[in-house]
Amino acid sequence: MQSRLLHVNLTTGELRVEELPHALFERWIGGSGINNWIMWEHFLKHDIHCDPRSPDNIFVFGVGPLAGTGSGSGIKGRITFKSPCYGIFGDSAAGGKFPYMVRFAGFDHIAITGKAPRPVYLYLCDGYADIRDATHLWGKNTAETHTGLNTELGDYPSHVHTLTIGQAGEHQVGIAAVVSDASRIHARGGGGCVMGSKNLKAIAVQGSGGVRVANPAGMLKWSREFRASIDKNEAIYGFKRRGTLGAVEMYQHIGSHFWRNNQGNMFRGDEIRSDNWVKKFHKYSEVCSADCFIACDGRYKIDGSESEKAKKYVGETFRRPEYLTTGSAAGALDIRDWAEVAHWGKVTNDYGIDNQDLSCAISFIMEVHQHGLLSERDIGELFGHAQSLEWGNMEDIETLMADIVFRRNLFGELFHDGPYWGALRYSQRTGRNFMKYSIYGKGGASFTEEMRPFPTWMNNMAVASRGADHLKGIGLIEKFQRRDLSKRYFNGRLEAADLSTPVLKGACTALVENQVALINSYGVCLFHWMLDPAGYAPEEHYGRAFAAVTGIDRTPAELMRDGERICNLEKAFNSRLGLRREHDTICERWMFEPTTEGMYPGRVAADMFETVLDEYYEWRGWERESGLQTASRLESLGLGDVAEVLAADGALARG
Amino acid sequence: MITIHAQYQSRFREITRVPAETFELEHPLVSELAARITGKYGPTMHALLMDSDGENLNTRGTLYLNSRGERVYIEDPLHDGDTIYFMVGIAGG
Repeated sequence: MQSRLLHVNLTTGELRVEELPHALFERWIGGSGINNWIMWEHFLKHDIHCDPRSPDNIFVFGVGPLAGTGSGSGIKGRITFKSPCYGIFGDSAAGGKFPYMVRFAGFDHIAITGKAPRPVYLYLCDGYADIRDATHLWGKNTAETHTGLNTELGDYPSHVHTLTIGQAGEHQVGIAAVVSDASRIHARGGGGCVMGSKNLKAIAVQGSGGVRVANPAGMLKWSREFRASIDKNEAIYGFKRRGTLGAVEMYQHIGSHFWRNNQGNMFRGDEIRSDNWVKKFHKYSEVCSADCFIACDGRYKIDGSESEKAKKYVGETFRRPEYLTTGSAAGALDIRDWAEVAHWGKVTNDYGIDNQDLSCAISFIMEVHQHGLLSERDIGELFGHAQSLEWGNMEDIETLMADIVFRRNLFGELFHDGPYWGALRYSQRTGRNFMKYSIYGKGGASFTEEMRPFPTWMNNMAVASRGADHLKGIGLIEKFQRRDLSKRYFNGRLEAADLSTPVLKGACTALVENQVALINSYGVCLFHWMLDPAGYAPEEHYGRAFAAVTGIDRTPAELMRDGERICNLEKAFNSRLGLRREHDTICERWMFEPTTEGMYPGRVAADMFETVLDEYYEWRGWERESGLQTASRLESLGLGDVAEVLAADGALARG
Repeated sequence: MITIHAQYQSRFREITRVPAETFELEHPLVSELAARITGKYGPTMHALLMDSDGENLNTRGTLYLNSRGERVYIEDPLHDGDTIYFMVGIAGG
C-alpha cells in the first residue's frame, strides 16, 4: 500500500513528505483512522489543552484507501482537528471530486500546523506542493474563491478542485465549515474556523496520477459486482432521484422532523410537507464524483415559477439541498417557501457555515423571543438595533446569519460557537437560565431531526466523540426496526430493533459506531453502506474491497476490532481533555419534554437514557461510574501505548 | 376475508400512480399483500418491494409500517382494517 503524508508548517513555510508505513493501515485502515492517529501523535508533542484557534492546533485532511480506485464508493474525504466550537475531538466528511484528486496529485493525507503570517493557499499538483499568497482571495465567499482559483490555475494537468473557507472561517466563527469544490461541505465541528485561524484560505489541487492497488483484478471484480447489484436495486433508483430528500415525506409521516427548535416534529406549510416540492428539484442531476455508482446528487436552477418567493431568486443555481439542510430550514426555522429553503442551503454554503449549528442557534433565540423572554432592551443589547425575530421570515434569518458569520454584534459574539455555548454565555451574562431552550448533546448542536422516540439515537447524541452526532452511530437498526439485523448481530435477539425497550440500545450504539468507523476509514459514503445492496455489513462487503486495494486480508471479526480501535482512540482524545460520564449527556428538552406529534407521541429520553448509557459502557468495556476506558480493554485492542498516555494524564479507569 | 389499506409514498407512489388503495385478502398475511401488490404493478414494483431473492421484503432503502408504527415483515400477520404505509426509508444527509 503506497501512501504519502504531506506535513505543512504554515509558520515556517516548511513542507515535508513522509511515506506512511504499511503497518499504519494494518492498525488504522486509512481515512479517518489514520487522520485520528496523526492528530493523536501531534498532541503528544503539543499541548492538547491549547486554544483550538492557536497555531498549536492541527488540521488534517485524508482520504481512504478506496478513493480513486474505481470502487464506485470511496468518495469521501475527511478533515480532523481539535474542535473550536466544542473544544473536543472534531472531524467532518464530504464527498465529491476533491478527495480522489488529492490522491491523483500524489498525496493521501495532509497535516497542517502553525499559522501563516498572511492569507495563503496550499497548492498540490503531481507530487509538488507549494504555499501561495491568497491575499486577493481573502473576503471572498467559497464559490468566488473556487472560481478564482480555477481561473488562476487553469485546466492543466486537470481541472482544479478545492477546499475553501468563506467569510465565516475568516472571522474564526466556531461553527465555520470547509467547502469542497464550492458545493460539498465539511460542516460539523468548526474546521473552517481552524483553517481561518491559520490564515489558510484554501487548498487547491490538480493531478494526473493514479492509484496503485494490490490486486487490480480483485478490485475490478468487486467493483463490477457492486455496480451490478446497484443497477438492479429499485430502492436505490428511488434514492438517486431524491437523494436524502426522500426522507421528507417519511419523516412527516412518522414525526421525525425538528420543527421550531424541536418544539414539534412535523413540518407545517401545505406543500413542503409532501413529496411534490421535492420533485421541483428534478431539473437535472449530476454525478457527485466520477467514483460514485449511486450518484444521488442533483442541481436546481430557479426560474421564478416554483413558489411564491421564487421570483426573488430567479437564476440562482446550486446543489439540491440534502435532508438536513431542508430540516434546518423548513424544520428548525419554519421556512415554508420552496425557493427560500433552497436559498438557505446556498447561502450557508457560500459563507461556509454549518447550517445545523446555525439553525439551532437562530431557532434558540427565536424561541426565547416567542416565549416573551426578550425585552426591547435585551434585543437592543443583542443586535444593536430593533430586530424582528419572526419564525420563517427569511429576511430576519439572513440578518441573524450575517450577525454570526461576521460576529458583528453581541448576538454574533455569543452564538458563533453554536447554541450550547451561546445559551450558556447568554444565561451567564443576564443571570437568567435559558438552557432549557438550547438543543444539544455533549455541547454540540443537534442535527435537525426528532430523536426522542429513538433510544439508540438519543444515546448517540450523548456519547459521539464530536458532540451530538447522527453519523458516528447512525441508529438505523432501531429507526427502521430492522429485526433481521438485530438477530444477525445479537445472537437471534430482537430487542435492538424494538423501540419500546432500552435493551440492546447501548450495545447497538457501540456496534454501529464500530461499523461507521470502518466505513469512514475506508473513505466510503455512508449512504452506500446504508443502501448497500450487497449487504449491510461493512466488515464483510467493503472488507473485500479493502483487501483488494491494500493486500490486507482481514476476517470480519478482525475488521470489527479495527473499528473498535478507531473509536477508542477518539474516546481517548476526549478523555485526555477531561471528558467523563457527566459529559455524555443531552439537553433538557430531549430528556424531559415529551413528543406530542407523529407516530410516537409521549416519548422522553429520560425513560431509558441512563439504562442505555450503562449498557453502552458495558459493551465498550469502559468503567460505568466514570465513563473512562480501562487498561485491559485498550490492551486487548493493541492500544497499550494509548493506555499509558491516558494513565499519565489521570484519564484511565482503575479497573 | 380481511380489508387492508395500503398507502404509498414517493417512489412507491410513482409506480402505483395512486396514493392509497384497499385490498381484500383471503389470508391475513403480509406475504399475501405483497404478492397482490407486486402482481398488480409488475417487475418494477417487485424490484422495489422484494429483496433480490424474491422471498423477503426489501429491507434496504424501504420501510413498511403498520398503523401502530411497527415495521412489518413478510411473515407477519395482518388484522382487518390495518393500514400499511410503504415508504422510502433513508436518514441523515
